[in-house]
Parts: sequence; C-alpha cells; structure tokens
Amino acid sequence: MGNEQFFVSLTFILLTFGLYIGIAIYNKAKQTSDFYVASRGVPPVFNGMAIGADWMSAASFIGMAGTVMLLGYDGLAYIMGWTGGYLLLTFLLAPQLRKYGRYTVPEFIGDRYGSHTARVIAAVCTIIISFTYSIGQLSGSGVVIGRLLEVDAAVGTLIGVVLIAFYAAFGGMKGITWTQVAQYLVLIIAYLVPVIFMSLQLTSNPVPWISYGEIVTRLGEIDADLGLSQYFAPFDEGSRWQFMALMFTLMAGTAGLPHVIVRFYTVSTMKAARWSGAWALLFIGLLYLSAPAYAAFSRFVLMTNVVGQPIDDLPAWTETWINTGLLQIADSNGDGTLQWSELMINADIVVMATPEIANLGVFVIGLMAAGAMAAALSTAGGLMISISSSFAHDIYYRVLRPHASDRNRLAVGRITIVAATVLAGVIALNPPGVITQIVAWAFGLAAGTFFPALLLGVWWKRANGPGVIAGMLTGLAVTLTYIFAAQAGFQIAGINDTGAGVFGAASAIIAIVVVSLLTKAPSQKIQEEVIDLRYPEQMTYKDGDVWINK
Amino acid sequence: MEKIDKKTADAYYREKNKYIIIFLSIWFVVSFGVVLFADWLQFEMPLLGFPFHYWMGAQGSILTFIVLLFISAKVSDRIDQKYGIDEGENEKISYGKTADH
Repeated sequence: MGNEQFFVSLTFILLTFGLYIGIAIYNKAKQTSDFYVASRGVPPVFNGMAIGADWMSAASFIGMAGTVMLLGYDGLAYIMGWTGGYLLLTFLLAPQLRKYGRYTVPEFIGDRYGSHTARVIAAVCTIIISFTYSIGQLSGSGVVIGRLLEVDAAVGTLIGVVLIAFYAAFGGMKGITWTQVAQYLVLIIAYLVPVIFMSLQLTSNPVPWISYGEIVTRLGEIDADLGLSQYFAPFDEGSRWQFMALMFTLMAGTAGLPHVIVRFYTVSTMKAARWSGAWALLFIGLLYLSAPAYAAFSRFVLMTNVVGQPIDDLPAWTETWINTGLLQIADSNGDGTLQWSELMINADIVVMATPEIANLGVFVIGLMAAGAMAAALSTAGGLMISISSSFAHDIYYRVLRPHASDRNRLAVGRITIVAATVLAGVIALNPPGVITQIVAWAFGLAAGTFFPALLLGVWWKRANGPGVIAGMLTGLAVTLTYIFAAQAGFQIAGINDTGAGVFGAASAIIAIVVVSLLTKAPSQKIQEEVIDLRYPEQMTYKDGDVWINK
Repeated sequence: MEKIDKKTADAYYREKNKYIIIFLSIWFVVSFGVVLFADWLQFEMPLLGFPFHYWMGAQGSILTFIVLLFISAKVSDRIDQKYGIDEGENEKISYGKTADH
C-alpha cells in the first residue's frame, strides 16, 4: 500500500510538472516572434484563472480548511477576508494602477510620489512581504513531500527548496500566464474531487455546498454531547474584534499584495482589469466555497470514526502522519480510548490527510499531492519573481547601477531567487506558526504598508513623497511591533498577531495624511497625473481640462 | 483630441464613484456587518440546515462578493458606453504602456 501510493503520487506530480514545463516551452517559442501580441492576447477569463493560481497558495489549498476545522466559525474570517479583498482591489486600485502603467509596485510608488527613497522603501517592503509569504509556501511543500516520502516535514521542506528555487529561477521568468492557467485547473480539480466524493459518502448528495449544512448542524450536536462548545458558535476561539481585525487585515493585504497587483498589469486595459478581477474571484470562490465543506466533512469523520476508538486499534493512516511529526496521539488519561482533546492535529495536514481518512483510494490522494504542489509552486514562483524584480530592477538597476546590462540584471535576479528561497527554506524548517498564520503576517505587512500608500496614491492627489515615506515606515514598524508584542501576550481588544494589519493600516494612513499636509504639495504634473487616473484611457486630464481621443 | 465639457467629465467621475460607494457599502454589510451581529443571527436557514451567521461567512458573503464584481464590471461598461468610450481605442492607447512579466 505504502509503495503503491508513493508511485501513484509521484507519477501525478511528474505528469503535471511535465505539463507546466511543456506549456512554458511552447509559449516561449511563440513569443520570440511576436512577444507583445502573444501575451496581450490573454483574455480576462484566462487571466482570471492565472490570477487564481498565483493567488491560491499553500495557505488556501493546504492550510485553510484545516484552520476552519480547528477554529469552527472563527476560521471563516480567513474565507471572507481572502475573498472580500478582491472588491477593494478591483474597485479602488487595479484599473487605476493599470492606467498608470509601470512595471512593479515599487515603481508606481517611486514615480507617483516622485521619490527615490519611497521607491527603495517600497522595494524593501516587497521583499519582506514576499519573503514572509514564501516561508508559508515552503512549509506547505514540506508537508506534502514529507507525507509522500514518509519522512519528517523538515526533510520534505529541504527537497521543496531545491524544487522551488529551480522552478522559479529557470522556469518562471517570462510568459508564465498559460502555465498558471494549467496550474489552476490541476489544483481546483484536485480540491473538488475529494470533497465531492466525501459528500457522496457522508450524505448521499454529490453537491457538497448544499449537503454540508446538515453536517454542520450534526457537528454542533456531537460537540454538545461531548461537552465541547459548538462548532458553529461565534467568537469561541477569539474575540469579535479579533475576527474583524483579521478579516480587515486579509482584505487590505489582498489589495496591497505586490505579486497579485502585477498580474493586473498584464491585461490590456482598465476595462480588462475590472473583468479579470471578477473572473478571478469566481474561480477563487470555487475553492473558498468548498473549504468550509472540506473542514466540516473531515471533522465529522474524525469525530465519528476516530474519536472514541481504542488507541491500539487506530486506522492505518494515522501512522504515516505520525511519522511526519504533524499528528500526535496521547492517551493522557490512560483509559485506552482516544478523546478529541488527546488528538493533536496540525491544521496543515487536514486537507492532505482527509482522502486517506475517508478511504478515497490512491488516485485521489495522488491527485491531491499534485494539486498541493501546483498551489505551492505557482505562488512561490510569483513571489520569487516579485522579490527578484524588486531587488534586480527597483534597487539594483534603478538606484545602485543604472548602467547595468540586461544580462547582468538577469543574473542578479536569478541569484536573488536562489538566495531568497534557501533562506526562506531554512526558516521553514522549523516554521514559526502554521501556514495560514505565517501567511496572515505577510498580509498584515502588506495591509500596513502598500494598501495605504496605493489607496491614497490613487485617490488623494495631495499625498506626497515625505508623507508616503513616513506612512510606509510607520505602518511597517507598527505591524511588526504588534505581531511580536501579541505573540508575547500583549493584546488590544483581544486582537492577536494575525490581526496586526488593522493597526498598521490605520497608523500608516494617519501618518501619510498628517506628514503630507505639513509638507509641500506634489508638483502640478504629478497632481494632474493622479486626476487623470479617474478617467478611461481614451480621456486625458491636462491643464485643468479633460480631453477625449477620437 | 477633443476637449470635453468640464461638467460632462465631472459627471462621468461622479457616476462611477456613486456605484463604487453603493457596492462597497453592500460589501461592508455582508462581511463586517454580519460578523458584528453574529450572536443575534444564529437562526436556522430554511432548506440548507445552516445557522444563518455560519452560512453567511461560509457562502453568503462570498457569493455576494462575486456577484458584485460582475455587476460592477457590467455597470462600468455601460457608463463608458454612455460617455462614448470605445474600448478598441483604449486598447490602442494603452498598447505597449507596460512590459510583460
């Protein structure tokens, strides 16, 4: 069984990897002849899928359902936060940033605010955010590889580092949109197949989104019988304010995440940016609507098939997961029967373990492994490109060595990718939290730095260079301080480390407004450029008048 | 290039923003609003078998977000059309304005 599973999973992973590489090679060949048209030809529907693959990381695929399963209602903050942010992004930022038309987010900030210092700070923030985020991805690939090879998750992480460094440095430099479309399809099929099968098994209804309501209600009854607080009871695992702070952090962070914003630069117009946002959320929603169903089904199976069983007679799947170090079983009261409180289950194994728990067979488990790797790889690829373009383009080329050759910059970019992946991998060996929590920190940092800088940059023409410098530094400092302080036990209104972005964003907005008003207004040219962002491409604002190009 | 009347240009901006404000208000109510009052919204959903506050978090809000994004894209297209914006022209103007990644 173990060997068969290993070969099936490996075959799935290798086949899908072959597919991604094949697509990348095919598109590259076409693009040399007609570089711009080929990539401009990405219609919003497919760009939506590509954004979906870029966006849905190991946190969405591997971590989220497990987090909801362990937290119950309070875990839904992740579901609403990570989807709701797309409205802020698509309404308030993406079309306008598309019209401004720059290569990267630091470049927008540097040019809009007319400040090299702001550009460098934005580049450093991009590196910090993407780096934190990639720790979560590497930790996720460690879980998958660890299970596959039946080794400790730390060893799995090391193998993941090599894979991702190689993939991002050599595969991901250009034309990755179509590869990401394929990755989206692989990961969404891998996620939906087990949840549909489980729905059939448990409720005889193949539509999980409708059928899991009764499971949620039954979980509440089981919890009540066991004397636990009910699964759907609100604010049981944290305060109401923590829920809303986390939700805001994830929403604002989504709107400020550099590697996602960049995807809106590759569409043709502001209109295409709006439609891409809509399609992206539809495709993302498919997974996010399924995660709570996944969580309810796994908890139900665990509650009814595993809890209450004799410890000596547990199902075979428990052993392979105990080997990865992410599942622990202790008979602390010594009665020979497993209680819910004696099961220490890491949130990150729930999705991967559930097909085994529900006995769905080797093919479904192999498909899951391929889907999880697609999620971790596609996001890690996008993050690594953000890190390398921030360093190689915004810092090295624009500030340090403006005369560097193309080859030289490419080499610097590749070295950056390898160095960043290895460093993130070293931290991921002993992850400082579960995947969703690490990723929430990255979103907190984006909410505290980029969200205020971009929002006011687009909508307030009076915001200036000194203001944004003060804002980004304040937001960064406040968010980081709160994350560390909350981990050490200091909390305001019960808000813990994952909700830090709310304080970061608020203080950054205040800092930008106050410092901007105390210093000189931006030049007439910049103010006119900001007003110009209110209108579609065909209209231009100049010298106090709007012109239309007919 | 043809100059547009200041009133027309302002009306365009105002009309676009009006819808953004409406959509973001709905966004705020189905997410933050429902969470704020979750304790009082625990009644059972008809047919689905969910407590309402849980259903809103797991499905209701997300479905609303998706629908809002599509309606907004459609509404924006309508407004552009009303003011005589031609998407083909837009594409020509923005062509090559950013490089590809």
